[in-house]
Amino acid sequence: MDELRICHLYPDLLNLYGDRGNICALRNRLEWRGIRAIVSEVPSGTAFSASGHDIVFIGGGQDFEQEVLLNDLSGEKTRLIKEAVESGVVFLAICGGYQLLGTHYTTHEGLQYDFTGIMDIHTIGDKKRMIGDYMFDMDNGGKPLRIAGFENHSGKTYLGEGIRPLGKIIRGFGNNGADGTEGARYRNVFCSYSHGPLLPKNPSLCDILLETALKRRYGDYSLSKLDDSIEQRASELIVKRLS
Amino acid sequence: MKFKIFSAIIIAKAMTFLLRLSGSGGTSLPGKAAMAVKADLLSYLSKDVRTILITGTNGKTTTARIISEILRKSGKTYFENKSGANLISGITAAFALNSTSFGKIKSEFAVIECDEAAFKTVGKHINASIVVVTNLFRDQLDRYGEITHALNSIIDGIRSSPNAALILNSDDSLSYSIKGLVPNRTYLFGINSPPYGLDADFISDAPYCIKCKSRYEYDFRTYAHLGGFRCPGCGYRRESPDYSADEISLGSSFSEALFSLKGDSIRAKVAIPGAYNIYNALAAAAAAGELGLRPELIIDGISTFRSGFGRMEVLDLEGISIHMILVKNPAGLNQVINFLANDPVRKILVMILNDRHADGTDISWIWDANFEKISAAADIFPRIILSGTRAVELLLRFKYAGLDTAAIKTTGSYQDVISEAMGQNTERLPVYILPTYTAMFDFRKALSRKYKIKKFWK
Repeated sequence: MDELRICHLYPDLLNLYGDRGNICALRNRLEWRGIRAIVSEVPSGTAFSASGHDIVFIGGGQDFEQEVLLNDLSGEKTRLIKEAVESGVVFLAICGGYQLLGTHYTTHEGLQYDFTGIMDIHTIGDKKRMIGDYMFDMDNGGKPLRIAGFENHSGKTYLGEGIRPLGKIIRGFGNNGADGTEGARYRNVFCSYSHGPLLPKNPSLCDILLETALKRRYGDYSLSKLDDSIEQRASELIVKRLS
Repeated sequence: MKFKIFSAIIIAKAMTFLLRLSGSGGTSLPGKAAMAVKADLLSYLSKDVRTILITGTNGKTTTARIISEILRKSGKTYFENKSGANLISGITAAFALNSTSFGKIKSEFAVIECDEAAFKTVGKHINASIVVVTNLFRDQLDRYGEITHALNSIIDGIRSSPNAALILNSDDSLSYSIKGLVPNRTYLFGINSPPYGLDADFISDAPYCIKCKSRYEYDFRTYAHLGGFRCPGCGYRRESPDYSADEISLGSSFSEALFSLKGDSIRAKVAIPGAYNIYNALAAAAAAGELGLRPELIIDGISTFRSGFGRMEVLDLEGISIHMILVKNPAGLNQVINFLANDPVRKILVMILNDRHADGTDISWIWDANFEKISAAADIFPRIILSGTRAVELLLRFKYAGLDTAAIKTTGSYQDVISEAMGQNTERLPVYILPTYTAMFDFRKALSRKYKIKKFWK
């Protein structure tokens, strides 16, 4: 039986509203196809293996716990996460998890926190939060993929050279509310501001992650089709509202 | 000066009267209008009333109901702000409606529940006798932001009531941290033994110490982040509560526990089911105890009070029992799911999810609720009906929880919900309705069109 090893990184710190929904989608959509899903949690204070996972999920968090997070990242872990990224492990990083892959975060009072620097992106805190349903078109080599989500962030993220956006904003704010970009792509890393259950409502994106990971592990691979009618109805409701 | 007070009160009373004639029970508009005439009307009206202020994320309404019942049994006069009018406008209206036109309050006590984000403002106007903080959980992050914002709002609000007895939850590391940050004398309530056993699973809203950010260790947990926490970093830890419950047994329609009220031990029943309502009973017992009310009347109140609007409220409609349980955040919803899945009675489950402003526009939290438990107990849920503006998202959640979606009815029409749950309910199974805030009002309206049920302000 084929399998994928899914890692929930920092489930204790980065677990804001509904982040578990993404793990739930990854697991179910493998199991529904007869592929084994092995889900492990790597909370702060425990070791991360650079070669032990096929997909790594990092969610969003509250500011309160950021210090705990930065302490935990200051040791070996940053190097190991970077190694995993560079070797092509699939990452899905949302909101706070997305920001921490960048070089730094500057608060709106001007205080700078150094992050992992795994990707050339940085975030600047703003007083005003960017909140609400939103949608973007994800570049998918050919016909763009329409993604519906909910964003809730005060950080404005800017992409450096060599980092592509995940998609183009159609409605909402995205990375910074100004340049029309949403999220980031680097190697097999997928970043987005769509917090909560991004994957259940956007099954094509979920399958892209799964297929990328399966190809990396088993060579050529194509996933069987599932009945996604409920997923589509949930997503279309938001798309229709925003259109 | 006096004339302004007089006009403000008259306006609030007249507007409420007119709104009720037109079939609305709203009190927020009359409150706003009164405040437009006299901004600090609340300060004026509340100064001679012994006010019990109840705030926190979950359990405010139920705690207020129990306190009111104990006051009633003790022969005291009181009024409360009913029906969730718990922002400054609704609270101002409640005082105005219970005062003479010249600003004299007729009751000895006011039992007031207050939204945690509004507590900062409301607290400034009221010099309370008792302040109760039930607990703090993540709730509607799209409105409130981080959980620490609610905590700071509460701390700010308490500062105007330096003489109030402060009632805190010893098992909640978040709200218990208020002790020592304000000068008030403080009394604690808590549960001494885990109601669900030791192997229950929990999602914690607060794994790290609020004072030093080390990871908490627990001697036992009751649910979510509540329990016997201690911080290995700075020594911050649960303190033994003054008002406590032990030896808990949970039933379908009530719970039982051994209550200890500052040393008086009494075995008693809590009138409504659900482990979380034991906390509410304890919070009310502590408030009543510090008001000097007698323990036997406190216990009597806990055992016999009637639940508030949509809080484990039971309606009997043509021989079918309808249970309305408001849901608004994962901690609360998980408690309700625990209750429904552990109670072996077969039941019809209706959940109504709206995403209007008052519900929270972000519905992501349903993915943190443990619907997998319903899936594991699927045979006691022979019929599931989903509705509300985001019914499809609920259906999706149920699908990923492992439920058979073909057997679930999804409908945008409340009339359909009623006919599915009532009309086709030949076995007369109990119906459990879990609405979000605005859904609760709308669904009740739909119910009252078909059945005779009382208007919510009564």
